[in-house]
Amino acid sequence: MTHALNTVADSLRFPPEFSASLRHPLVPLPDPADEETDLKTVFDEIRNFYAVERVPAVFRWMARDPGFLQSYWQATREAFADRALDRPTKEILAFAASMTAKSDYGVDFHLREARRLGLSDRGLTEAVEVVQLFNTVTKIADTLGLKPDFPARPNGERPHV
Amino acid sequence: MEIVHVTDVHELAPEDQKFCEATKAWFKIDFVPKMSRVLLTVPEFGRPYGRASRRAMSDGALSRAQKELIASVVSAINVCEY
Repeated sequence: MTHALNTVADSLRFPPEFSASLRHPLVPLPDPADEETDLKTVFDEIRNFYAVERVPAVFRWMARDPGFLQSYWQATREAFADRALDRPTKEILAFAASMTAKSDYGVDFHLREARRLGLSDRGLTEAVEVVQLFNTVTKIADTLGLKPDFPARPNGERPHV
Repeated sequence: MEIVHVTDVHELAPEDQKFCEATKAWFKIDFVPKMSRVLLTVPEFGRPYGRASRRAMSDGALSRAQKELIASVVSAINVCEY
């Protein structure tokens, strides 16, 4: 979900939501105020979910197709809901995914969200350390063609440790 | 296809073999992961890298479980089968 949203935002050059940028969108972004009233509910929900005054650009873009926005937003909201993993952890994971994919939009967005939901400076340092470590070993593993330590079983499952 | 010889544990220096034992305990597995052995092929690199890894992956402000999830996400984004 995060990777997909970042792909849209970065490809269409949406400026980061919370930090300064010289980026200009390649496409016009609808202003929520101009939208039909049936989108007001979903826009309000998005603003409340992220505690922002303005609907993030990536969702404003989707408003070009209201039916798509409504369904996609619902899926996004559910993906980030507190379940077995809590929402702050999911935001940290989204931040890690954004860093690894070098997404300016995603790093800005999810760093702000993770912090807003309680990520401390120490926690941020630790998250970045893990991202850095595993961006190292994954490249080493791929370059050397290392096969997994836990080979898949014939049915495709991996054994539990 | 693996393009390097993955060092066997018994080929490593005694202090590195000890580190490998600690790695098995860390992951609660009965073998030494290839990555650990590959990194220790150049001990001058592998030893400090291993220490940095152990430090970074320990419980802190984030739990070890959260950190393993971050590692999984990085691996997925990088499409790393290993």
